[in-house]
Amino acid sequence: METLNELLGGFATAMTWQNLLFAFLGCLLGTIIGVLPGVGPVAGVALLIPLTLNLDPAGSIIMLCAIFYGTQYGGTITSVLLNTPGEASSAITTIDGYAMTRMGRAGAALTLAAVGSFIGGTIATVGLVAAAKPLGEMGLLVGPPEFFALMVVGISLLVALAGKSMVKALISGALGLLISMVGIDPVAGAPRFTFGIDNLMDGVSFVAVIVGVFGLSEILSFRRNEPTPVVHAPGFRQLFPSRTEWRRSAPAMARGTGVGFGLGLIPGMTGSVSSLLSYATEKRFSRFRHELGKGAVEGVAGPETANNAHANAALIPLFTLGIPASPTIAVLMGAFLQQGLTPGPSLFTEHSEIAWAIIASLFIGNVLLLLLNVPLVGLWTSILRVPTPILTAVILVFMVIGAYTINFSVFDVYVMIGFGLLGLALRNLDVPLAPMVLTLVLGPLMERSLRESLEISQGDFTVFTSRPISAVLIGIGLLIICSPLLKLRKPKALMEDPEA
Amino acid sequence: MTTESVTIKAGSTIRVAPGVLAGIGAFAAVGIYVLVSSVSLGLWTSLGPGAGLFPFAMGALLVAMSAIWLLQELRRPSARGKGVDKGVVISVVASLVILASVMDLLGFQLSMFAFLLYHLKIRGRRAWVPSLIIALAGSVGAFYAFNYGLNVALPVSAFAPLNLIGL
Repeated sequence: METLNELLGGFATAMTWQNLLFAFLGCLLGTIIGVLPGVGPVAGVALLIPLTLNLDPAGSIIMLCAIFYGTQYGGTITSVLLNTPGEASSAITTIDGYAMTRMGRAGAALTLAAVGSFIGGTIATVGLVAAAKPLGEMGLLVGPPEFFALMVVGISLLVALAGKSMVKALISGALGLLISMVGIDPVAGAPRFTFGIDNLMDGVSFVAVIVGVFGLSEILSFRRNEPTPVVHAPGFRQLFPSRTEWRRSAPAMARGTGVGFGLGLIPGMTGSVSSLLSYATEKRFSRFRHELGKGAVEGVAGPETANNAHANAALIPLFTLGIPASPTIAVLMGAFLQQGLTPGPSLFTEHSEIAWAIIASLFIGNVLLLLLNVPLVGLWTSILRVPTPILTAVILVFMVIGAYTINFSVFDVYVMIGFGLLGLALRNLDVPLAPMVLTLVLGPLMERSLRESLEISQGDFTVFTSRPISAVLIGIGLLIICSPLLKLRKPKALMEDPEA
Repeated sequence: MTTESVTIKAGSTIRVAPGVLAGIGAFAAVGIYVLVSSVSLGLWTSLGPGAGLFPFAMGALLVAMSAIWLLQELRRPSARGKGVDKGVVISVVASLVILASVMDLLGFQLSMFAFLLYHLKIRGRRAWVPSLIIALAGSVGAFYAFNYGLNVALPVSAFAPLNLIGL
């Protein structure tokens, strides 16, 4: 009952006209980012963080969350119409989605994907509501040693985000930690790696680094004279699936919700793993499995439901434990920290009102996306016709404004340019960027909690093993870290994940 | 958009790409610099870890991983990826640096207008009318939207004559 009251309180905050506007704008921008091939959700969320810095914390996070799950919806449109996934988790949808387009059923495919996404996202949010209270109560038991142990589990996710090479992932992770250490040391107060530059005394701005590494480096990777795709949007009447298509999609959506929700709870699993496994589930259990690959509705409804269920379920470890389960969520966590909110057990005790407003906004955002996506599919496809030079110029304006407004200083624009070049170099060396963002976000929290813990215990390291919660968490973290380190490479199943 | 490199089979006669060697060298150099600097920051104090302990560990990790990467490359070099479009990189980075260096002097509107016109008309070869419309919207339009709509102050010109006419 208490949970329901808090959720209703959250709805009251989320439904103010300002927060509704932020949710709407977030859904709109997220869909656009998802539609644009080449601008992934990590870069998209990173790019738009600066625009939300001047908003109040609730409005800012509501907008960023809406951008995050909006990208999942938008990515479907190009998968279905162009055979090109807007983002990694929609890649598997290209198989049956594009086949449906060639059969003249593009409208039905897009509608079923949107409805599936709505169902998956909404059910996962219900799960978040159910999990929030019991896990949030853990906040009362968390001191610096437990917090450090949580951060160890978070950092251990580097293993899952490593891409093709653990060695390169560790380099990326070490770079992220080193960047986060620039500035005044949080405990002793001594300047570290500032090179005598006053602007670096407060550290390198997280936002400028992220915008540079993910956003600018993406722009720098664009190729001259890339052709603008030719796309034909389905008409309004073509958007309605037939009764048979609805009937066949329902079980696929149910299975997709289960797969996406379950995997979303496991830190390190990305949305593309969920959609892939959902497709595999359809191959195994669907009555129409022999039609998969030839334009079966199950091949669209299942994976699309799974990736949205995953996106919302992945917020559960962030909200309740402070563990970012994917690169995009790590960027989102950075935005929380910029707003003075520390995701994790203490979020529900220290900022309960904001936390519940954000959760309530997830329900609202899912409804908004359903309303936006289906009728406006023609508008979204027209975005694909924007020529690359115009698109690049518009994105660059956002980047410059975003970087400048962090501290109202041109210095941050230079920081963004520098990290854009670093990001480009890392991409060309095949060094994954995801571990860097993970350590950049978690590194300072981890260092501070380690040093606070050791100060409390007067340098005695047994403080981490003598407290049951921290001992268990550290054990889990070390297990995750050590297993692939022994081979210095990653398990094959996760290696090919493009989101990593 | 990432540039994927293709791994070559062991025993191939292809040598390690110079770019990869340069990258490994750069990471190792950063690691060594961090290792040396963090010692002076203090690794341990009477209260526990010093300001240099975490950077020291990261520096050591960078050096060690660079060495392992080098060994892996010598054993099985990775082929060159698609590379970058140098024209795009130079034009975008140079224009951004120029924009950043003149923004406080000329103000956001004028410098962004020139920046956008360069990217749309000169680099992008778009027609004059759409280029001018987008450049105006992205400079003057964005300035007013941010200044008065979102209450976010973008820089105005340091030159009094330009400042007086609202630029």
